[in-house]
Amino acid sequence: MALVVRPNTWVALKLPSGISRVIQIAPNTTISLGKYGSFPANLIIGRPYHLTFELQDKLEGEDFSRLRIVPTTELYAEIFADEISPGCSTPTAGANEAAAHTTADAEDYTLIDAETGNVVARSNLATAIDETARQTLTQDEIEELKRDGTNAGKDVIAKLLLSHTALDQKTSFSLAKYKLMKTKKYIRRFQVLPMDVANFGNWQLEERDSSRILDMRAEMIGLVGCWGNAHYGGEDVFLDDPCASTEQGQEACAAVQEDLLRGRWLVVDDTCGMLVAALAERMGVLNPEYSDSDAEDNAPAAAAAETTTEESNAATAKATPASTEPQTNTQQQQQTDTEMADAQEDDGLPPTNPHNKPRPSDFAIPYSQTNTITVVHAASQPNLSFLNYWGFDHTAPNHPPHPLLSHLLTLSWLQLLQPSLDTSYATPPLVATPLELAGWKPSRRGNFHRKRRRFARTRHVVDTARAGNFSGLVCASTMDPISILKHSLPLLAGGAPIAVYSPTVEPLAALADCFSVPRRTAWTSGQVAEIVGKTGEELERWAGSEDFPLNPTLLLGVSIQTSRARRWQVLPGRTHPLMTERGGAEGYVFTAWRAKPAEGRVEAKGKFKRRKTEPSAVAGAAEGDAEEVKETAEG
Amino acid sequence: MAPNMRQGISPFLEPGPRTKANSLAILQLSRDNFLPVHLQHATGEHDGYAEGVVVNTRFGSFPHSTMIGVPWGSQIRASKVDTGSRGRKRKRVPGDDAARDENENENGNESAEPTDTPSGPKQAIAASSGFVHVLPPTPEIWTTSLPHRTQVVYTPDYSYILHRIRARPGAVIIEAGAGSGSFSHASARAVYNGYPKEGERKGKVISFEYHEERYKKMKEELSQHGLQGIVHLTHRDVYKGGFLINDGESPEAEAVFLDLPAPWDALPALSRQRPEGAEGATESGKPWVSPLNPKKNAYICTFSPCIEQVTKTVSAMRRLGWVDIDMVEIANRKLHTARDRVGLNLPQDRGVNNSARDVEEAISKLAEIEEKFRQHARPARSAENTGSKHGDNGKAVSNRKGAREEETSTSSRPWADGRLIVRGEPEIKTHTSYLVFAILPREWSEEDEAEALAKYPLGQEKAVVGDMDKASRKKLRQELLKKQGDKKTKRKEKAEKLDEKMDETSG
Repeated sequence: MALVVRPNTWVALKLPSGISRVIQIAPNTTISLGKYGSFPANLIIGRPYHLTFELQDKLEGEDFSRLRIVPTTELYAEIFADEISPGCSTPTAGANEAAAHTTADAEDYTLIDAETGNVVARSNLATAIDETARQTLTQDEIEELKRDGTNAGKDVIAKLLLSHTALDQKTSFSLAKYKLMKTKKYIRRFQVLPMDVANFGNWQLEERDSSRILDMRAEMIGLVGCWGNAHYGGEDVFLDDPCASTEQGQEACAAVQEDLLRGRWLVVDDTCGMLVAALAERMGVLNPEYSDSDAEDNAPAAAAAETTTEESNAATAKATPASTEPQTNTQQQQQTDTEMADAQEDDGLPPTNPHNKPRPSDFAIPYSQTNTITVVHAASQPNLSFLNYWGFDHTAPNHPPHPLLSHLLTLSWLQLLQPSLDTSYATPPLVATPLELAGWKPSRRGNFHRKRRRFARTRHVVDTARAGNFSGLVCASTMDPISILKHSLPLLAGGAPIAVYSPTVEPLAALADCFSVPRRTAWTSGQVAEIVGKTGEELERWAGSEDFPLNPTLLLGVSIQTSRARRWQVLPGRTHPLMTERGGAEGYVFTAWRAKPAEGRVEAKGKFKRRKTEPSAVAGAAEGDAEEVKETAEG
Repeated sequence: MAPNMRQGISPFLEPGPRTKANSLAILQLSRDNFLPVHLQHATGEHDGYAEGVVVNTRFGSFPHSTMIGVPWGSQIRASKVDTGSRGRKRKRVPGDDAARDENENENGNESAEPTDTPSGPKQAIAASSGFVHVLPPTPEIWTTSLPHRTQVVYTPDYSYILHRIRARPGAVIIEAGAGSGSFSHASARAVYNGYPKEGERKGKVISFEYHEERYKKMKEELSQHGLQGIVHLTHRDVYKGGFLINDGESPEAEAVFLDLPAPWDALPALSRQRPEGAEGATESGKPWVSPLNPKKNAYICTFSPCIEQVTKTVSAMRRLGWVDIDMVEIANRKLHTARDRVGLNLPQDRGVNNSARDVEEAISKLAEIEEKFRQHARPARSAENTGSKHGDNGKAVSNRKGAREEETSTSSRPWADGRLIVRGEPEIKTHTSYLVFAILPREWSEEDEAEALAKYPLGQEKAVVGDMDKASRKKLRQELLKKQGDKKTKRKEKAEKLDEKMDETSG
């Protein structure tokens, strides 16, 4: 992750109301926060994340607001006042019963002006709460205050509080609530948050369309990543460029070297790319590397690189500035029609570009053999539109450097399972002699190279995927998980973990039922007529029958779980869980490991005297189940 | 027993395709029963076993030789191992079942003292007592199978924590209270981006443990697991000693996990500048060094079981300038699926509820009983009249019984019977600990601000972002799309013309 806000990155501006504005920070623009005011983007570019800025009053002769970093002592001023108030001792003073008796005191909540330290208002519990209390300021007066409001809205808030006739009769709780409400409405502050997977997920879930990420909460992203064992899969290894001349066909393609393939995860993603982003983050291929020292020096260069791709996007971004979502539709359209132009510009050039390194041949494989994510998609193109937030556009033909370019491989289910039916895989590459090539128009030459490159890449992606031995499988899909596993289980290495996310439990329950104890028992004890005489190899690729949709011996430790984080408010004397939280889909994760069943009959009579010898032998249902398998497996 | 793994990559990070000797493997005995085993080559008789090192479980005996060099996930059959004649306790006839009973009390606790008998190991012979699966170690399995020294941070908690504190490849994480090591393993996997070569900076876990016994155990474990290059373990009380490593050097951490009884006592040491009242470091006259990376924001998570600890921690965090303070607790539930079989006509199996499946079945059963009752009562009153009828009824009943038996015998698909249900596990963890998250932004001085202002000067603003209402935004977008459409058609025309020309020239 970048150390400071970089030009043209996506950030979330967190407003006092709790709403996030997600925007791409283009240099030399003005960012408007609606009623909170506007400020130049250059004031937050190059600054660190997580600082709280306050929009200051416009200086004379300037038509923009400058920003002030709000120190934390100011942010927490009221809480500190609370802690010091009588009857409530601070923890730093070493008191033990912190904040327990706050409400017992008659006068217990004070409103302190952060700068002067004067008490603005106090609450008084002795007098009853007056529900009919009124704000004496009229709406017009408030509007006027807002218009020429100074001091970042703090004046408005203070005036509002002071004009409240029954302020002294409020309890500490209601006063605090009232103040908070008004602060949210009027204070002109915001925080710049980085667009990483955690923040993006929260924003998409809470404020945008949660169904697009299948209601995947942070807990679930964490669980899926850990149970899927997704982690850095080793240093990049690239295949040698076969240096194929344009006269050579597919025989010149670099062969798949299975021993080089390591640290590869198979992914089925229907969350528009958020799952891929989460896994890429765990594998260290989501964000471009910035080392500590040259981070600053790189900034302009990186920005320059970005602007080149942004060129086409910038038009959209600038023209529709208020939009908070990457313009995937328009962008895609643009890219498809710029593709031709790009290809022309790029490939029309003679192959020996004087100021560039020698161009790799058409059959050079740009993908690393290790630390990769292979996405299998149901449509002809994968939907990875959310990766735009991390500066990666899957549809862009000439992409600026991004780690995902060499670590993200995509193929369709058709290409994976029946490649011969896929045109781009099955059509042999075009060939031409250099003489022929020289005679062609640049555009035709460009297309020729582009098609050959696409052929080699498709060939490589499909062949490596079909070679299997993936280190793990991670799914968050709307498709039936049974069918996904039917085709992906044979591709997993032994012991590889499987993590399948689903917003609802039913599909996962049906999946787990395929590996139930009675099914496994019947399978291993030879009761199933269809499998008699089949080899282990054949059973691994079991096509499924009505009773046995999946080979029940291919998975170990099948389990379903769900997690929920319950959030708390922690304030002196007012600590409790939040009153409301997001409902909707709960979210479940199915986990298991890929097994390599022994060939032939496996007997297991076991030995079960219920003794207290095994410390971990908690006589639970799970244990009982497992015992049953082994007991009954003998048949 | 602790072989030097320095040259190899930890099996937690890259297990490779097959099991290896001198490396950790996990045996799955049953669903939730895992046994970590350090695989060893058999050089001869070991501990009285002719097959070399042997693991004894209640599913039989497993010589290591049968588990080395197999693909991960393999199912391993038990072997016929002579566990009786090892000269312990009483001598028994080899292969005697009773003898095995006796010795299996020590299952799993294979004591490892290499013996010097030169004769090669005996070839293992498969037995029918059972099987295990051999799995590559992962932090998840390790967490469920590790030897407990303290309370363990379980997967639901650490997966969420690592996500929230942005533990990514290349990050440096401080962990205080290594405890049983479950978090150390999980965070080592998260930050791993290769083993550091001399002078190279790579992802690292800076771990502290004040308890000497635990520290030693942990140290041994790390070397066995090949993780010393990733986890830097120090024996220290961080309340007093702080978080610097290698005698006053800053680890430059960007994430912190505190599993301590009093996190607020450790927090001052995690400041950007010398905290008020900090002694320790001043004594030597050296300048105070922050353990945090000065150029990055620091993410923290503290793990405390009691709410009082949380209140104090949060209060201390606010005073030390941490922002975005957020407290959550994680509730995790495991679910089991089963087939719920209810019905009067089902076989009397385990887990079958032999009561009526639905109202119809209840009625037919009740009617049947009523009928029986009537027939039973009737002969007493008018035996002669109804004699013939009774006989018919009796037949009918027996017929129905026959049908029922048929029904039960035909259901040879026990896996598909009944309704599929999902149920929670019998015991759930309702509370593990409260997690307090916070962020300490990097320092931003006036000079930094001036530098940034010079680099990105003001006054050239061209466009306004985020200032449009929905309607005008929509309009603009539509216009843009239209323009693009025009462009596209123009380009197409151009391309067609080109093609035509080409055709002409070639033709």
